Amino acid sequence: MTNYPLRFLQSLRFRTKITLGVTLMLVFCGLGIGLILSAMSSSALLEEGKKRGMALTSGLAFRLVEPILAMDFLQMKNLIDNVDNQYDDIVYVFLTDSEANILSHTFSGGFPTDLRQVNTDGVQAQPVLLTTERGLIYDFRAIISLEGKELGAVRLGLSRSSIDANIHRQRLTSLLSTLGVVGLGIGLALWFARTVTFRLNRLRESVEEIVRGNLDVHAGFSLEKYCWQIMECDRRECPAYGDVQRRCWYLAGTLCPNCSDGKYPFKMESCRNCPVYRHNSGDEIQDLAEAFDTMAVTIKRHIEELTEREKTIARQQGLLKTIMNVTPDFITLQDKDLTYTFAGKAFCDYFNLEEDEVVGKSDYHIFSEEQARANAEEAAQILATGDPLIREIAFKRAGEQRWFHVVKVPVYDQDDSIMGLLLTARDITMLKKFQEQLIQSQKMEDLGRLAGGVAHEINTPLGIILGYTQLLMDDIEDEELSEGLQIIEKQTKVCRKIVADLLGFSRHSQAVSESVDINESIRQVVKLVEHSFYMNRIGIVYQPDENIPSLSGDEERLRQVWLNLLNNAADAIEQDGIIYVQSRLLADEGRLLVSVADTGKGISADHLDKIFDPFFTTKQVGKGTGLGLSVSFGIIKDHGGTISVLSPPPRQYLAEDMLQADHSGPGTVFIVELPLRQNGAEPEEKSSRPHLH
Amino acid sequence: MRKLAWAYKAITCYLIVAAFTLMSCRDGEEPVAVSLDKRQEITFRAQIPAITYAYLPQYSHTESFQRHNRLVEYLAEETGLALRQVFPDTFDNHISMFGQGKIDISFSNPFVYVKLANRFGARAMTRIVERDGRAEFRGQIIARRDNTEIQSIEDCQGKSWVAVDPSSAGGYLFPLGHFVDHGFSLDDFQEVVFAGGRQENVILGVYAGLHDIGSIREGSLRVVEDKIDVHQIEVIDSSRWYPGWVYAHSPRLPAEVTERIRDAMLKLDYENNPRHRSILDAAQFIGFVPSDDQDFAPIRELSDKVGLDLD
Repeated sequence: MTNYPLRFLQSLRFRTKITLGVTLMLVFCGLGIGLILSAMSSSALLEEGKKRGMALTSGLAFRLVEPILAMDFLQMKNLIDNVDNQYDDIVYVFLTDSEANILSHTFSGGFPTDLRQVNTDGVQAQPVLLTTERGLIYDFRAIISLEGKELGAVRLGLSRSSIDANIHRQRLTSLLSTLGVVGLGIGLALWFARTVTFRLNRLRESVEEIVRGNLDVHAGFSLEKYCWQIMECDRRECPAYGDVQRRCWYLAGTLCPNCSDGKYPFKMESCRNCPVYRHNSGDEIQDLAEAFDTMAVTIKRHIEELTEREKTIARQQGLLKTIMNVTPDFITLQDKDLTYTFAGKAFCDYFNLEEDEVVGKSDYHIFSEEQARANAEEAAQILATGDPLIREIAFKRAGEQRWFHVVKVPVYDQDDSIMGLLLTARDITMLKKFQEQLIQSQKMEDLGRLAGGVAHEINTPLGIILGYTQLLMDDIEDEELSEGLQIIEKQTKVCRKIVADLLGFSRHSQAVSESVDINESIRQVVKLVEHSFYMNRIGIVYQPDENIPSLSGDEERLRQVWLNLLNNAADAIEQDGIIYVQSRLLADEGRLLVSVADTGKGISADHLDKIFDPFFTTKQVGKGTGLGLSVSFGIIKDHGGTISVLSPPPRQYLAEDMLQADHSGPGTVFIVELPLRQNGAEPEEKSSRPHLH
Repeated sequence: MRKLAWAYKAITCYLIVAAFTLMSCRDGEEPVAVSLDKRQEITFRAQIPAITYAYLPQYSHTESFQRHNRLVEYLAEETGLALRQVFPDTFDNHISMFGQGKIDISFSNPFVYVKLANRFGARAMTRIVERDGRAEFRGQIIARRDNTEIQSIEDCQGKSWVAVDPSSAGGYLFPLGHFVDHGFSLDDFQEVVFAGGRQENVILGVYAGLHDIGSIREGSLRVVEDKIDVHQIEVIDSSRWYPGWVYAHSPRLPAEVTERIRDAMLKLDYENNPRHRSILDAAQFIGFVPSDDQDFAPIRELSDKVGLDLD
């Protein structure tokens, strides 16, 4: 109950508080002052009335001296009647001599005897208030004297009611004036409260807008003149130029000559004497509103910057995630408890999991218990020692074994303490295969080098064997022995051929560089074998590209390549087939292409990658040495070219009649690509404009 | 809103109380009850018989009172007689009142005395001694000092002359005799007007420029020293000396009474008695000399000269 007035005041709106406060102040002060002033003016009016009565009486006494001296009753009567008639509020006037005899009076019908009994004492304070049938009357007494001798006295009765009427009129005027002033004050208080609260409400609405997220608020009022208008400034590079929402003294880096460096509020010292500040600075509420606007703009800019940074971060995050997801490597991040906090897409895809199914889980949810335990032991060691772990593991899943290069590194936080574990794993299955192939190639190279060395050593004894055999054949006439020697000679020649091939494979033969017409070299080889192939009903279709220029190379060795490829095709066909030989100029790529396609039995996919290995053959024992294609591979490689095989051959490597005819096998095509320019040699141009057939 | 209404009700109550307070304020005087309706006719009580003393009204009653009140009180006290000063309004009134017996002791100029003596048998008792030590006096002809046309008595011809009263000795008759002696008659003036018996009015009339010349009793300029700049007034000429103001008594007054009064007058010692000095200062003369009717032969002579009827 005791706090009721306080609660009541607190519950009022601010505008009501101001109005009520000012109203109360005006009412109490106004009426208080009104009461005091009214009492003072009433007293003054009363005093004025008394003084007036006394002045009238004294004046009359002065003017009555001579009539009394002369005992001029007519003049006495005239004088007192004159005063009596002149003022309505004078009730009576009468005159006595020094013996208190009535000399003259203004009463008609006798003199009131009571008046002779009152106010007779010369020392009595004047006037004496009388209550009569005509109301209250002030009785004034003035002595008529001359040279200190009392000649008589004059008495004057002044009605108090007229003075009271004046006092009441004055009090009424005071009351009405006070009420008027109080009313005017209340009106002004209402206006003032409205002005103040209007601006506060505007500020509040701005705050609410900001709470709702709208930072584009304007709590302050527009100015009559802005700083660049007051200073007649045209420096558009100034941060204050054109900014209608913020005052220049809140901005740092303004360019006025009087502006000091620094930000608000440190630059205010120089601003206080600035004409812009003097013109545009307002009261505290305006300052608050303008500071609020400045704050809103600043926050808005900060938020825009943060939003921009957030977008950049999100973009970078997206980019990082894309990289993480696109990379074929497995990437995961585990915390100290070995719970996954990130898992790359490759990892998830490999284990057929979604990212959500990995993040927040441990190895025990993903791997087998044995694998998970092994991982946990590894991880514990890394977390304990801080040493990274790098190793290759074979992982068998769904019947397929794959090799991974695994790197596990500890992740440090800002305190240099380990906060987790980063795993990257790369699928190196293909690399492993290539490694195996490389090892095989090295083995084959070593074997070739061994075979070459053996062949070189054997070549001389074979020449001696062949020479002595042929000498013996000339000397021996026995047919049986001669046949034996012929077999030795033949087999020796076979051996020499094998040795020659081995030497060719091992590049022990000397290469010759000369101008080679590829088309011609092919044509020569085709002519050489055409007849023997024909015996097995194998046709050769040769389609050369006449635009192919001559190139630098060893013609003899290249012819060996063509012969090997044709023999290989014929061996694949065995009987009844077509060999399609084609040469093409790929001028744009600076290469020529020779393809030898057959309609033979083809090569199985398993054999395709081994076809160029030395001693690899699918032919019957005694029919091939397994060195033809590997020798060809070496010759073409020496010319800077490549040789490849496709089985079955694509259409573009086949002739029209091959497509239409019904052949026994799927066929094979060997494609030789040679560079037109070799070791800086310029090819001989046959045509400036090559074209394809 | 209900709370607000409550607050406004409280303010309204305060306003009403304050308004009543404002309208009902009254000071704490206690009136005396008097009835104006109880009436009684007033009849004037007759004054106690006394010897009446009158000063020829050449000044206002107040001035007359102030000058002679103390002297009257002294004479009453000294003689043991009841004396009362009366105030005639004009010279004629003074003469008629003397004739009517309303004035027993008359203090008048010599012409009025001669009239009173001739008409009503007045007897001279004493003459006063003026401040200049003389028991005679004379008239003066005055003009504005800046009036260059009037430098001597001869320049007064054709001018407007203001005099005190036709029966004024110093203010009219002495200057008139002086003019006659210089060959002027009343017709030689543009006009002769009288100022109602007041010396001050003559001086103020000339001072104001209403009249060219004025005639006053010598010494009158001092009376108006506090009213005007008397240096603006120039005395053109003066008459011969005549006997001054005279106290005369009614022939009805017993000789013993007149003796006591004359003795009392002559007893006043201006030089040695401070009380007498203050009485005489108020009356503006310094003493008395004995006088009788023969002292006024020059006046009678003058009246014959100017054709004045003093009978």
